Amino acid sequence: MVLEPLRAGTIGICISRLSLQGAVMFLDLSIKPVDLTEGRYLLSGASDGSAAVYDVQCATRYEGNGLVAKHECIFIVDKRHEQGHQYAVSSAIWYPIDTGLFITGSFDQCVNVWDTNSTRVVVNFKMPGKVYRTAMSSVAGSHMLIATGTEDVQVRLCDIASGAFTHTLSGHRDGVMTVEWSNSSEWVLVTGGCDGAIRFWDIRRAGCFLVLDQSRSQLGRRPPILEHLPSKGSTSKSLLAGQSSINKARTPQKKTANGNGAKRVPSLYRTPSQTKGSMGQRLHPGLLSSRDRATAHYGAVTGLKVTGDGMYLLSAGSDSRLRLWDIESGCNTLVNYEVTRLETRKPIQLANTQDSSLVFVPCMTTIKAFDVWSGQTSKTLRGHYEYVNCCWFSSLDQELYTGSNDRQILVWSPPKSVLHETDERGNNEQVSASDQDCWSD
Amino acid sequence: MEEERDEGGGEVISLIDRATNSTAAEVNPRLLKSIKSVVRSSDSEIELAVETLMEKMKKNHSQVRYLALLIINELFMRSKLFRSLLVVNFDHFLSLSIGFRRNLPLPAPPAIAVRLRSKAIEYLEKWNTSFGIHYRQIRLGFDYLKNTLHFQFPNLQQNAARLQQERREREIRSKEILLKKFETLRENLPSIKDEINSTLEEIGECLDILHTNEDDFIPTGLADDEEVEEFRCSDLQQIRIESLKESERVHESSDNKVICDALRELYKLLVTKHLFSVQEWISVLLRVEPSDTRFRDSTLKEFIDLQNHLKAVRKRCEQSGCALTNTTNYEEEDFWEEGKIQVFGAKSSNAPARPNEDLASTSTVNEEKNIDPRQNEASNVSERLDGEGDDSDSNSVRRKLLSEAPVMNWGSSLDNWSSNRDVLANQRGLELAGHWGRVDYDAVIPAAKIAELNVQATVYKEEHVDIQPCLAPLRKGGLCQRRDLKVCPFHGPIIPRDAEGNPINQVPSTDKGTTKLETEVVRQLAEQAVKNVRERDRWETKKRINDRKSLNRAKLAKVREHNEAVLREAAIASTSHSAFVGEDWEGEKNRQSRAKRAKVCEHDEAVLRQSTSRSQFAGEDRDRENQRVSFVKEKKQTLASMLRKKVTTKDRLAQRLLNTRATDATVRQLTIGEDAKYREAYPNQW
Repeated sequence: MVLEPLRAGTIGICISRLSLQGAVMFLDLSIKPVDLTEGRYLLSGASDGSAAVYDVQCATRYEGNGLVAKHECIFIVDKRHEQGHQYAVSSAIWYPIDTGLFITGSFDQCVNVWDTNSTRVVVNFKMPGKVYRTAMSSVAGSHMLIATGTEDVQVRLCDIASGAFTHTLSGHRDGVMTVEWSNSSEWVLVTGGCDGAIRFWDIRRAGCFLVLDQSRSQLGRRPPILEHLPSKGSTSKSLLAGQSSINKARTPQKKTANGNGAKRVPSLYRTPSQTKGSMGQRLHPGLLSSRDRATAHYGAVTGLKVTGDGMYLLSAGSDSRLRLWDIESGCNTLVNYEVTRLETRKPIQLANTQDSSLVFVPCMTTIKAFDVWSGQTSKTLRGHYEYVNCCWFSSLDQELYTGSNDRQILVWSPPKSVLHETDERGNNEQVSASDQDCWSD
Repeated sequence: MEEERDEGGGEVISLIDRATNSTAAEVNPRLLKSIKSVVRSSDSEIELAVETLMEKMKKNHSQVRYLALLIINELFMRSKLFRSLLVVNFDHFLSLSIGFRRNLPLPAPPAIAVRLRSKAIEYLEKWNTSFGIHYRQIRLGFDYLKNTLHFQFPNLQQNAARLQQERREREIRSKEILLKKFETLRENLPSIKDEINSTLEEIGECLDILHTNEDDFIPTGLADDEEVEEFRCSDLQQIRIESLKESERVHESSDNKVICDALRELYKLLVTKHLFSVQEWISVLLRVEPSDTRFRDSTLKEFIDLQNHLKAVRKRCEQSGCALTNTTNYEEEDFWEEGKIQVFGAKSSNAPARPNEDLASTSTVNEEKNIDPRQNEASNVSERLDGEGDDSDSNSVRRKLLSEAPVMNWGSSLDNWSSNRDVLANQRGLELAGHWGRVDYDAVIPAAKIAELNVQATVYKEEHVDIQPCLAPLRKGGLCQRRDLKVCPFHGPIIPRDAEGNPINQVPSTDKGTTKLETEVVRQLAEQAVKNVRERDRWETKKRINDRKSLNRAKLAKVREHNEAVLREAAIASTSHSAFVGEDWEGEKNRQSRAKRAKVCEHDEAVLRQSTSRSQFAGEDRDRENQRVSFVKEKKQTLASMLRKKVTTKDRLAQRLLNTRATDATVRQLTIGEDAKYREAYPNQW
């Protein structure tokens, strides 16, 4: 699937939240490629402690001859709600299977699991510090864990089923700004901390199994196998191995989901004892990795995004860099993204297209679309008047949703020129007549 | 157009440069026009214009930005390409023109910056209404400024709509009123007409009576005139005609006085009421839009006829007698005058004014005025004054009275000025509207109490005192502008000074003497102080020199000591290497070193003693010098030195010797013990 170049200059639909007092901090659309939820309801968390749900397909009203659509929220959970959050909602995600539940994490140190239909809190987790981000695995078949990154150094996994913490992952030396589940394995969690480290965790084992190091790099990414398989030599071989191992790894997971308890560690998880065997101490491999002080960014890691195939990881840091990591090798691919400045104090939410050709990055007041593999800017979307915090790309509608400090969520869609020409020709002409040259003298 | 196309690109840049380089509040219209025509010629010029205008917007001066904004508005409303180019960086443009970002405020001249902002906001609103649909940046920017930052937009469109609406409503209302009037007119038309006609008839009758009275003798005169007419020259003839006309007029006399009065009254009625009402009705009829226009037209016609008729009658009345018009004019003047004086009189008089009655009386019969029993002295005076005949006299008296009269501030106490009546009261207080209900004549507030309540309060007004500035010359130039009552904290008492700030001594004799004395004393004191300070300085330098000397000595001693120590150690090292082998090495060395150290110590002691004694000497020297300077200091010094002398050298030597012996012994014992331990611990190394 090829994304049409976003020419949002024509007509962007604008979802405005008139009642809101705070900046939009996080967006999540109920998108699940596997499942059948329709990708219709957009969930947003805002800094005034509210979370709201929008219907992105049906606008509540149209302005300007139907060219500007305004969406009002379907419902909103804010401070006036008895179970609402007191401080900013930093993270709001849908339950990955359906829209019956959603999870909000807030600066008031709580993670709430809400029943959408009754808008009641069903499970509540108290965290040791401000919650920066929550994440649920979209491929998980055998667990329903919420990974939470907080001010605290430890990453906690909250189990909705039992209402308790199942894991406490320690290794970071500072607060954890972003957490992200792998797209290829339900057990793999990626976390990025304020200490600049990106750690990979296998939640079935102790400790983290990979710490990304910005000084370990490889030149260029390995090209997609199907196209370049015959032409490439050694790298493609290793890639092939990696790829196949991932494929292998996927099958047993499905089995475990079906109740077959076969356990196989995919070769994706390179044990640190092999890579750093020279330490020579009989330490537990998990604990050993906690001594690894490698950093992926100078400063905090503010955003993480795993590509759709689960092979690459994009990370944004407070050093205003965007890095592309090869997860298989754990190397920085040295793609130079033309990022000028990034938000440094808050976590940002990146978005990418499903085929991983474009990544959308909030760059201060604009959103930039970069080509993932070359790093070149393919589009700069200007529309917000204050810093953009988050974006979400809907591959079904080919629309981008962006939230900003100016309390608006903008929808960026590809041009609908064809539709306009056929459907409402007369109307269109009449409208465009008002935008013509008008030289009186 | 052809010419402009021929001119190369960049024309617009210089034009914009010139247009924005001015201090005017508007762009030069000729420049603006040429900019427009140049820009219109080609797209590249538009691109250039956008670039240069944005450059101008980035200039760090509000005036330049303001003019650039005006040009931008002109082009923005006209060119689509210009819009689409400007909109790309619209947030930047907004921050430059409105300055909504806190880190990017508008630049220097604040007044113009304010104007720039308001203009930019106005334009943004205008652009949003006309192009907001097509350019999301404009729309979003407008939304953002309005809903998030809560900027106040002038709301031009809505305001205009509201005004329109209001006007429409007003019109509808006035139409309704007119219609209502029209309806009443339709009902009352016969009665109105009757009234007017009756008045007209009465006037006609009056005039007829007057003329018939006159007619008796006029014809003869007329006949005479006609006979001799052709013999007179033209100017004489003119005079004749005038006199003839004059003779035609009715002269008021005792027998036709009543008729004249009636005529006057009728005339007044005619002019003030009927003519006026007819005109009013005509205007109503002209403006009204009723359902049946026929009635309106017919009545309008009638009324116009009536009006003409009335005017004719008025003319006849005026022609009939000069006294009539004159008196009416007088009366009207009196009417005004009366009212004024009445008010004035009421203020100064005891009785409450009754203007209505007075008006009635004046309007009806002039002569009756003086008979009015209610009128008191003052009003009588005023009325007498403004009676016909002695106008100038009345004015002068009035002026005199006015000049004498004190000016009172307005207040409630003026309502019953020096009235000695009791005031009725009810349970709520003063019975102000007693005639509306039952009145209890027993419940009364005594006049004294009322007077007490109405004591006029006057506010004391402080005299404005102009505090003189200090005006003492400042070091950096200019004069001190501090305004203190008596003494400036920086320049002493405030005295009159000339333009340069030099004091002007108004009373030189006494002041100067004292100041001289004072300055003398001050000078002496200063000299004394300087002397003291110098002495202290001298003494301190001496002391410092002495200190330095003693320090040097001590340092030298230390160096010497150190040298010796180094030499000694070198000697020990050399001896220990060569001389001692075997078991006793350690102990021997210790012993040796101890002994030597003791010796060295003694030596050191001696050196030290020397140095201290020297320093004491120095101290004594210093003492001697100090004696000259201060007595107290000397005493202290001697005391200190005495205290120091108490420990004699002998004592100290003895002490030292004792100590060294004791330590030597213990050290030896300890080292032996150590040796033993060492041997035990490492037996194989021995």
